[in-house]
Amino acid sequence: MSTSRREWLLLHGRELGGIGGLILLCFGLWILTPYFLTVSNLVNVAQQTAINAIIAVGMTYVIITAGIDLSVGSILAFSGVILARALNADAPLPVALFAAIGAGAALGVVNGMLITYGRLPPFISTLGMMSVARGLALIVSDGRPISGFSESLRFLANGDLIGIPMPVVITGIVMIAGQFCLKRTWFGRYVYAIGGNEEAARLSGINITFVKVAVYGLAGALSALAAIVLTARLNSAQPTAGAMYELDAIAATVIGGSSLMGGEGSVVGTLIGALIMGVLRNGLNLLDVSSFVQQTVIGSAIIAAVLIDMAIKRRRV
Amino acid sequence: MRRLNFSRFPFAALLAICAACALTGGLGACNREDPVEPGATFGDGASPAAHRPTIAFIMKTLNNPFFVDMEVGAREAAERLGVELIVQAPERELDIERQMQMVENMIQRKVDAIVITPNGSAEIIPAIVKANAAGIPVLIVDTRIDAEAAREAGAMTVTFIGSDNHEGGRIAGEFLAGRLGDRGEVAVLEGIPGHETADARLGGFKEGIAEASAVRIVASQPANWERDQGFNVAQNMLQAHPDLNAIFAANDMMALGAIEAISAAGKSRQILVVGFDATDDAREAIGAGRMLGSVAQYPAAMGSVGVEKALEAVNGAAIDEEIGTKVEMIHEANLAD
Amino acid sequence: MPGPASQDAVLTLSGVRKEFPGVLALDGVDFELRGGEVHALVGENGAGKSTLMKIISGAYRMTRGEMRMEGREVRVRNPRHAQDLGISIIYQELNLVPHLTVEENIFLGREPRTPLGLIDAGQIRSKCERLLVDLGVGISPAVRVSTLGVAEMQMVEIAKALAFEARVLIMDEPTSALTDRETETLFATITDIKSRGVSIIYISHRLEEIFRIADRATVMRDGRIVATHDVEGLSTGQLIREMVDREVNDHYPKQPAPIGSVVLGVENLRAGTRVRGVSLELRAGEVVGLAGLMGSGRTELARAIFGADPIDSGRVTIHGVDLTPSSPNAAIRAGMGFVTEDRKGEGLVLQFSVCQNVTLPAIRSMSRAGVIDRAAERAAANRAIADLHIKTPTAEAQVSNLSGGNQQKVVLSKWLGIGARVLIFDEPTRGIDVGAKIEIYTLMNKLAGEGVAILMISSDLPEVLGMSDRILVMNEGRIAGELSRAEATQEKVLALAVDPVAGAA
Ligand SMILES: Nc1ncnc2c1ncn2[C@@H]1O[C@H](COP(=O)(O)OP(=O)(O)OP(=O)(O)O)[C@@H](O)[C@H]1O
Ligand SMILES: [Mg+2]
Repeated sequence: MSTSRREWLLLHGRELGGIGGLILLCFGLWILTPYFLTVSNLVNVAQQTAINAIIAVGMTYVIITAGIDLSVGSILAFSGVILARALNADAPLPVALFAAIGAGAALGVVNGMLITYGRLPPFISTLGMMSVARGLALIVSDGRPISGFSESLRFLANGDLIGIPMPVVITGIVMIAGQFCLKRTWFGRYVYAIGGNEEAARLSGINITFVKVAVYGLAGALSALAAIVLTARLNSAQPTAGAMYELDAIAATVIGGSSLMGGEGSVVGTLIGALIMGVLRNGLNLLDVSSFVQQTVIGSAIIAAVLIDMAIKRRRV
Repeated sequence: MRRLNFSRFPFAALLAICAACALTGGLGACNREDPVEPGATFGDGASPAAHRPTIAFIMKTLNNPFFVDMEVGAREAAERLGVELIVQAPERELDIERQMQMVENMIQRKVDAIVITPNGSAEIIPAIVKANAAGIPVLIVDTRIDAEAAREAGAMTVTFIGSDNHEGGRIAGEFLAGRLGDRGEVAVLEGIPGHETADARLGGFKEGIAEASAVRIVASQPANWERDQGFNVAQNMLQAHPDLNAIFAANDMMALGAIEAISAAGKSRQILVVGFDATDDAREAIGAGRMLGSVAQYPAAMGSVGVEKALEAVNGAAIDEEIGTKVEMIHEANLAD
Repeated sequence: MPGPASQDAVLTLSGVRKEFPGVLALDGVDFELRGGEVHALVGENGAGKSTLMKIISGAYRMTRGEMRMEGREVRVRNPRHAQDLGISIIYQELNLVPHLTVEENIFLGREPRTPLGLIDAGQIRSKCERLLVDLGVGISPAVRVSTLGVAEMQMVEIAKALAFEARVLIMDEPTSALTDRETETLFATITDIKSRGVSIIYISHRLEEIFRIADRATVMRDGRIVATHDVEGLSTGQLIREMVDREVNDHYPKQPAPIGSVVLGVENLRAGTRVRGVSLELRAGEVVGLAGLMGSGRTELARAIFGADPIDSGRVTIHGVDLTPSSPNAAIRAGMGFVTEDRKGEGLVLQFSVCQNVTLPAIRSMSRAGVIDRAAERAAANRAIADLHIKTPTAEAQVSNLSGGNQQKVVLSKWLGIGARVLIFDEPTRGIDVGAKIEIYTLMNKLAGEGVAILMISSDLPEVLGMSDRILVMNEGRIAGELSRAEATQEKVLALAVDPVAGAA
C-alpha cells in the first residue's frame, strides 16, 4: 500500500520531475508571452517536436544498452532520399514508405553487426556510419534536394486524424509502442539488462548479438520514420537533412533521464525531454530571443538537468 | 523512515528550466513590447497607424557576416519606420526544418509580415503556404524560391528582393578571364548543391568566362559555403591540379578558406582568387593583395529594402514582383570607394 | 555486557541508528574495539554488519548516534576522511577497477610521488611486490585485474587495505572466496599486523575461523547487538544460537538421492590456459564437488562447460546430445544453469529489482506474445523470496540495496526457476550465513531428488565433503583425482590439490 506507492514514486520520480519542469516552463512562458498558451501554438509545438521525439525513441533504446548512435541524422537523410527516389519512380506510397524504413533499418542493422560481430565500440561504428550514410544520401540524390510529392505523402505531415495532426499521431503511436515494448516485454527487459550488466545478461542466456542488432536496427528504422515525416513536411528530401539531429536526440534522451552509462531511461522521459527542448525553442522564438542566446540556453538546460539529476542520485545514502 | 523521502525526487529538469526561464525571461523582456492586438493582421490594414506593425525577418543563419550586415540594414530601416522587428535564424545554414519551425512560430506570434531568406528553395514552400493560410504576407530576400514548386503548391509571395546572382557570377567570370589574359586553368568552389543562389552564381560565372575560350574550368566541387570546407576542398584541388591559375569561390567564406590553402601550399599570390559577397574579411584580403577581387552585394540594402517593402505590403501597397539590389566587382583599384 | 577497560578502546560507537527508505538497518548499536584486538562480528544475512562497517569507513552516514576514536568524537565525512583517520576497509563486494593493473589498483588515489611530483613507478612496483609476496600470492603487479579470478581479486583487495598504515582494519568477509591455503596466509598476516598494535574487525560466516583468530566476538541480529563474548570458552553452538535464535545440529544434512543415467558429459575439454584437458561425467541425482586451489581452473572449467568462454577443443554433451561449440544461451536451452562466482560482476544487474533479477533467465518463458506476464513474474519472485528467506522489503526493491548474503540468494534463485537438468554452482554459499546455508543444502537435496545433476565448486572444504556424492579435485587445469564420499577426507583432497602425484600415491 504505502510502500508500493512510495516505490512507484521512486520509480517514476525522474519522469515526474521532468513533467514538473515542463509544466513550470510552460507556466513561465504563459506569463511572458500571450502567444504561447494557445491551442494552435501547442499543436504547433507538438508538430515541431515530432521529428526529434521519434528519433529519440530509438536513441533511448540504444543508450539504455550503454551504446550511442551518431548516425541517426545521416540515416534520416538517406532514408528520406530513398523515399523520394522511390516516389519519383512512381512507386505506390506504401512501397516507398516500406523502402525508406527498410533502408533505415538496414543501415541500423549494419551498425549493430559492426558492434557485435565486429566488436567495434558503438561510438566508432556509428561515427563511421554517420559518414557512410551521408555519402550514400548524396550519391543517391546526386547531391540535390528532391522535391514535389503527392498529396498522399504530404498528408503524413499536413493531414489530421480527428483533429490531431498526423505527425503528432505518429509520434504518439511510436511513444506508446516504444514505452510498452521497453517496460512490458521480454525484449525491453533484455535491453535494460544488457545496459545494466552485459556479462550478467549474457550468462543469464540473453542473446546479446540479437538484442543489440535489433536495437540499432530499430534506431535506424525510427530515423527513417522521422525522415518520412520530415520529407512530407518540407515536401522535399534533402541529402543534407538531419545534420546534428543525433545531438538533439541524445540531448532529449539525456534530459529525459537516460544515463549514458546504460541501464537507465524511459521513452516517457525522453518524450518529456524532447518536449522541453521543443517548448524552449518555440518559447525563445516567440520571445524574440537572439539565436545565439537560444543555443546557450538550451545547452545550459541540458547540462543543468543532468547535473542536478546526478547530485540527487549521489545524495541517496 | 516511512514517510516520503523528498530528497529522492529528481527536480532536475524542473530546476534547469526555472533557470532557463529566468534567463530568457529577462532577455525576452528587453525585446518585447505590448503584443499586437489579435485580429490586427494583414488584410484589415484599414488603420495601420493604430499600432506598431511587427515584422519577422527569418535569416539563413547569423554566423555569416553577410547576414549580420543584412540584420544591421533591417534594424536600421525598422528604427526609421517605427516597426517592431523580430530577427531569427537557425544555428546552421543547412537547417531548413528549423527555419520552417521559425516561420510557424512567427505565425503563432501573429506578426504582420514575414521576410525570409530561404535555406532551401523548394523546402521553404510549405512554410510559405502556412503563412498564406494565416493571411500573413511573405517576402523573399536573397535566395529565390523554386518558382515551379511554388506554383504547384499555390504559395504566394509578395516580392523577391536580392542581388542578381547570375549577373554577379557573370561579372566575376569576365573580370577573372580578363586578369588571366583569357587563358588558364580555373577551379570552382561551389555552394550547397541545389541552392538557387549557388546555381545562379555558377551559371553566371560560366557565361562570363565563355567568351575567353582558353580559360578552362578544370575542377568544380561543392564546399557548402563554409570556410573550413573551402580550405579542404581547395587543398585537394591544388594537389590534383598543380598548374592551377585561379579559383572562383561562390562566396567569400570559401574563398578565404581557399586562400589559406594556397598559402599553406606555398603558392601565395601565384593563384588568383575571386570570391563573392565582398565581406569585410574579403576586402581586407583584397587590400593586402592576397585576393584578387570579390563581387559585392549589398546585404544591408537587402535588409532595409526587405523591411520597407514588408511595411508597404502590410499597408496594402502594390509592390513590384522583383526588386534588384546592385552587384559590383570589388578589386584593389576600387576598394577605397 | 562485560565492562572492559574503556581507556584502551580505539573505536567506540554508541546509539548508532541507520535508516534506509523503508528499512531500519541499525537500531541503537553500541560497539567497542580495543587496541590490538581481533574482534569478530557475526550475524545472519542482513543483520546489519556491513552497514555498521560502512558507517565506520565513511561510506554511509549514520542517521543518529556517535562515533569516537581514542575518546574523541569524530564525524567521518567520506571514505577518504576515514583513511586519514587510520581506518582501512576491505569491502564485502569487490571494488577494483577492472582495466587497471594490480599495482595501479592497490595504490589508486595515493600513488607515491617522486620529488618532481610524478608517480613513482619504481616505488609502486617494489612496494607492491613486497605486499604480494608477504601475502603469498603469485600475482604479477603488472597484470590487469580483469584477467584475475575472484579469489585473486580478493587477495588484491586485501593487499590494497594493507598497503598503507592503518590503526583500524576492517575485513568484511575476506575469506568468502578463498581456499584454505590463502586463508592460512591471511591469518598469518593478521597475526602479524595485530602484533603491531593494529585493531581488526573481522566479519565472516565461517565460524571456525573466528575461533582460530578472534579475541572477542560480537553477535548482531536485526540491526541490534545481541552479545559480545571473549572467544575463549565460547562454543560454536552458543554463537549459532545467538545468531539465528534456534538450535542447529546437522550442518550438512546430506540426503543421497537415487543416481540415474549420465546427464552431462565432458570429454577432453581444453579452453584457454587454465582448462587443459578435462573429462568428467555427471549423473542425474548426483552432487559432484569440485575442489582445488585458487587458480586451479575450476571456474574456468565451469565457464567453458557453460559456453561462457570459447572452447579450444573437446566436447560437451547433455543426455548424449552434443552442445559444443555453444553459448550460455544454448546451454540454458539445453537445460543447464550456472550460479556464477562473482555476484556483482556476473550474477546481478544491480539496477534491477530483486524480482527482475530472479526472473531474468526465465523471463521469455513467462511471456505471452512477447509481453511479460506480470502476475507470473511476481509469483516466481515471491516464491524465491519465501523459499530462500531472502531478506528484502519487497520484491520490487533494488537488488543492490540487499545485504551481500541476500544478494547471493538472489543469484541462486535465478537458476532454480528454469527447470534445469544440470546446475553448476560456483561458490554457492559464498557470504551466506549458517542457517541459510542449511536451507540451501536442503534445496540441493531436493533438486538432486528430482533428478537434477549438480556440479558444486566450493572453496569451503567441509561443505564439499559434507554435501558431495563424489569429489573431483582439480590441479593446474586437469582433474588430479576423484574421491568417493566414503573415502574423502580433508587431507586426501588437499594432497591431491597440492600435488597430484603424491596425493594419488
Ligand atoms: N543501500 C541500502 N538501501 C536500502 N537498504 C539497505 C541498504 N544497504 C543495506 N540495506 C539493508 O540493511 C540491512 C542490513 O544489511 P547489511 O548489508 O548490513 O547486512 P549484513 O549483516 O552485512 O549481511 P550479509 O551477511 O548478508 O552481508 C539489510 O536488510 C539490507 O537490505
Ligand atoms: Mg554484509
